[in-house]
Amino acid sequence: MPSQSFARAALPLAVLMVLSAGSRADSGSGVDMEFGNALLTRTGGANETPDARGMSWLRPGQRRSPGGHLYSCPLEPPTLQEISGWDVDARVQLGWIGTYGDDDNALWNRYVRWDSGLVLGLLELALRRPADGSYASVRASHLSSDDAFFEAAFGRAGSYAVQAFLRELPNATSDSAISIWNGVGSNELTLLPSLAPGASSSGQVAATAAGVAPQRLQVVRSKTGLGFDAYLTPRWTAYAKLSNEQRSGARPFGGAFFYNFLFPENAGALETLRPVEDSTLNFNGGLRFIGARWRMDFAYDGSFYRDAYRRFRFESPFALTPTRPGATSATIYQGQFALEPDNDYHNVRSSFTRRLPWNGELSVSAAAGRMSQDDGLIAPIDCSGTFGVDIDGSGVPSTTNRFLHNCSDWNTTASLSRDSADLRIDTYSLDSRVTLQPSSRLNLRGGVRFNREDYRNTYLAYNPLTGDYGYITENGAQASIQAGALGTWNPLTSPSVITRVRSLPLDRETHAADIGADWRLAERRTLGLSLTTQRNEPTHRERRRVVEDSAKLSFVDRSLDWLTLRASYTRLDQHGDRYVSNPYGSAYSTSLPGFVAPGGGVPAFTVDAMRKYDLADRREHKLDLMATVAPADDMTLSAGLRGDWNDYGALIGRQAYDRTGFHLQWEWQPSPLTHASVHYGADRARLRMANVADVVFGPDGSLGGPDYPLNARWWAYDKQRNRTAGATLDHRFGPVRVDAGWNLVDARGLTSYRFDSPVALAYFEDGLGGARSGSFPLMRYRVDSLTLGLSFALSPRFSLRVFDYYERGRVDDWHYLGLDTNRVIDHRVYSDGGPRGYTTNLIGVLLDVRL
Amino acid sequence: MTRHTATLAGTWGRRLALLALLALPSVHAQQTREDLARQLPASDLSGAQAQRSARQFLAAPGFALARVADNPLAATATPVGEKVCIACHQLESEHFTHTVHALGLHAAAKADPAIPVCETCHGPGSAHAQDPAGKGLILGFTRSSATPLAQQTRTCLTCHEGGARDHWAGSIHQRNDLSCSDCHNPMATFSGEGLLAKRSINDTCAQCHNDVRMEFGRRSHMPLAEGQMSCVDCHNPHGSLTAPLLKTATVNETCYQCHAEKRGPFLFEHAPVRQNCLTCHTPHGSNQHALLVAPVPFLCQQCHSQLGHPNDLLTPQSLANGAHPDERLIGRACLTCHAQIHGSNAPSGPKFHE
Repeated sequence: MPSQSFARAALPLAVLMVLSAGSRADSGSGVDMEFGNALLTRTGGANETPDARGMSWLRPGQRRSPGGHLYSCPLEPPTLQEISGWDVDARVQLGWIGTYGDDDNALWNRYVRWDSGLVLGLLELALRRPADGSYASVRASHLSSDDAFFEAAFGRAGSYAVQAFLRELPNATSDSAISIWNGVGSNELTLLPSLAPGASSSGQVAATAAGVAPQRLQVVRSKTGLGFDAYLTPRWTAYAKLSNEQRSGARPFGGAFFYNFLFPENAGALETLRPVEDSTLNFNGGLRFIGARWRMDFAYDGSFYRDAYRRFRFESPFALTPTRPGATSATIYQGQFALEPDNDYHNVRSSFTRRLPWNGELSVSAAAGRMSQDDGLIAPIDCSGTFGVDIDGSGVPSTTNRFLHNCSDWNTTASLSRDSADLRIDTYSLDSRVTLQPSSRLNLRGGVRFNREDYRNTYLAYNPLTGDYGYITENGAQASIQAGALGTWNPLTSPSVITRVRSLPLDRETHAADIGADWRLAERRTLGLSLTTQRNEPTHRERRRVVEDSAKLSFVDRSLDWLTLRASYTRLDQHGDRYVSNPYGSAYSTSLPGFVAPGGGVPAFTVDAMRKYDLADRREHKLDLMATVAPADDMTLSAGLRGDWNDYGALIGRQAYDRTGFHLQWEWQPSPLTHASVHYGADRARLRMANVADVVFGPDGSLGGPDYPLNARWWAYDKQRNRTAGATLDHRFGPVRVDAGWNLVDARGLTSYRFDSPVALAYFEDGLGGARSGSFPLMRYRVDSLTLGLSFALSPRFSLRVFDYYERGRVDDWHYLGLDTNRVIDHRVYSDGGPRGYTTNLIGVLLDVRL
Repeated sequence: MTRHTATLAGTWGRRLALLALLALPSVHAQQTREDLARQLPASDLSGAQAQRSARQFLAAPGFALARVADNPLAATATPVGEKVCIACHQLESEHFTHTVHALGLHAAAKADPAIPVCETCHGPGSAHAQDPAGKGLILGFTRSSATPLAQQTRTCLTCHEGGARDHWAGSIHQRNDLSCSDCHNPMATFSGEGLLAKRSINDTCAQCHNDVRMEFGRRSHMPLAEGQMSCVDCHNPHGSLTAPLLKTATVNETCYQCHAEKRGPFLFEHAPVRQNCLTCHTPHGSNQHALLVAPVPFLCQQCHSQLGHPNDLLTPQSLANGAHPDERLIGRACLTCHAQIHGSNAPSGPKFHE
């Protein structure tokens, strides 16, 4: 129970805080930089009063940052109480919130868990002892047992700091999950009693699903952390952070019992509901030295992931039928997944920086790391008795009944080449960079970088019990439908089977270098040029070498009082050595001695013309314009324009990916009592790709050849368009503060396609109407939200906040069309009905008390 | 009340009474800056006040080396001490007093009178006091200041050098002429931590990167809009070795900070997954499920044209309400069967089925 764990963790943390001493968030490493929740960000949070006197008596109005943005008005200084030499400032916001409408909707509950009832909006306690600079603080909020945080810190300014925190972070993963299984949330899904494993019809499964009430699924992250940093001397500091995060919940997943689309009324595709039960312990610590000439940093990061389960099991309800007339399929129904293995991560790094003449610096950073896991392996199949196809009706595997197999040959780890994973990746990196300022008008910089990832050990899929290489496909379903399609290679019994027999180590090495200069054309005008080259050398990929060369021109102008302009243009060329369509041969049975090519030859792995976009030739043009304008002393107008055009030049694969957009934001601060803003943004993305269907399983991978004929080509074009808009107003009328906000997110996506002939289609008949193009229904996501809040200063110590937050969401995703009425389609089961629209209203009454 | 506290209270009482007179707005309204400058009290750099206070501690190490900042535009200026500054800048002082900087500097100045307060950041104040309107005579950190940006950041780095700021020089923000005070405003407490210019890290970054903030409103997104995460969980705005200002050596290591289960290594790996999470995901927000860059199965079909089932064009007729539903298109599409797409630790998982 999260609330109990929250309470359990709070006590030892509180004790630790009392005993030890402080840490603050460090933007250089780790996460958990800031704690908050939707109440604080969406509904205005606690009552904060700007100081009506402004920032300064010497000048009217607000100051601007060097970049041209208006600074906020400071809040009223707190009224401190002195207690035993400590200045104390404390406030608490308590109250009630209520949600109405579709408040169980997953999108509405994304990363938030609203529970109607009493809430702790915010507790803030700050203690300071001016005499020696000591301080302590507590900050907490509790919306529900799954959505809360507590952070506390104490220390002495410039000496040490200790920080501790607890956090509950919810994530709704479905609000419409219909489970035909018992045990959701565990690693064992068993079919509801009305269904017989491996012997139920589609109708029976549909009837069962129709009688199940939808449920909401979520995953909650519960995290506890403790850290400190301390000055050992004015030059040396030490720091350490330790955290433990537990995830608990369930989410939609998968489950394969072979292709239902190829074998109607047969096989099975099951959207199961998998558990998420794991924990991660993270540690980060180090020492830093900062001297007049040298800086040094020595650090260690450790991360240790532990999953509560090694395996996830589920039952399939459907009976399997062999394609071979007169035969029967063994009754198999048990599916399995290996859940994520426990893994360990270590990384040590150091960096040395030395001041150089010409106001320069030279830094060298080196790091070495290791990712490893040695989880016990699960067996290749989870069945008992037999699996496969029984051709003589005896139910007993034999030389004549050769397509029926004993589960005992495959259902234990004795059937593996080893019983644990024993895998490791070692990483190394070295980075060196230099900056120089030979004159006040010129900055020079350059750097080189080296990264390497070494895979240690590989896995060989070999069964010493049978002498077979390879694996059992799709929980044994394929072998139980297609006689002989076991998925294994044997030099004696199946020497021509092509199957995967090895893991694929993905070692890689990266070399990069960059050089650049910035010229100060005038006091507040800079022109910059950066040239970068990067060479990636992956192994077991389609290219052994991929090179990225880029040039970036940038310009910054702050010379006008009312304008800051930043502009940049980047051109990038990615290219490489010869593209090999099948670099995976060593991982397949074709590489084993004794392999005999099948009669028609070894089928082509893929079409030769395919260019995977992470390795393909690519030319990119990128433009960014950013302007900050001060149209009046109390206003700021920010505008941005950007474009990113990528041309992949591939016949098959991704061909283009272009993104363009702009945004405008206007802010108005006419007085400390008033703040208003309006923003609007629009962007679009265009992705073009091509593919080609195969018509025969042949050895010719050429585009236009017999396997991949030109008339089987097809193209897809995905267009995304987003608009966002919003406005806020915050004003005080004496003791009353009014705040209002409106936000709009409107996204549309259209995926269209065209093809040369019906041969390109999964279903030939779809192309018989004559049309050679079409599109999917519009994908839409639109959220409108409105906030209205009133805060009343009842007395110097008490204020009352009343707010209403209305949100309406609309979502259309064609992937889920039709699932609202039927979750069982032939031998397919869909547990999740997809995202749904909602209309919700959140109201709150919060009392703010300065203690 | 101890003798020490009583002494302090007396000192502060006298000081406040004096400053209250100086700072009355009605008086200000009738005075020019030059008038104010002429009324400034004499500097007190003797340390007499600190010596009068009972010494109970040493200056905290973090402030022990604090000195009056250099201001090349006022090379002959000399320090005047905090109370001289407050004579005019009382309101600023009221706000500043509640910051961590003030807490540390005041405590340090008590322990070591050579440690300045205002002048640690703003440089020696005498020239400014004599000519308050003189450009550049005091180190300023605002738009209208004559202090060059490089001098501004150099001043901050005098104390804040190294650590998270180790790679500030040459970083994209430095090259784009950002000053520390574009994101930070140490003159008052606006944020819970970090003396930011806005209420939160995300609000601060959105001053310039509002387009990125908008992405967090999309259907699938990182939980920034809900306040559960900040930009600085992934990025180090002060400079890093990894573009774009990532806190770790690679994109994937950044993702593994919260998604450690994806780290593996797995028995069977998916090459582009190990190469870069961003091959398939967009980091901030997406209109697709799970931050995907394109709808499945088209996302997968950009790379997969193997013989068999991956390369067929599926039409809307293969949706659940179509003429011939197909699991390659419905719901999670490819991922219904290839569920362990990030890597499988099952001996029967080369195609991520198990």
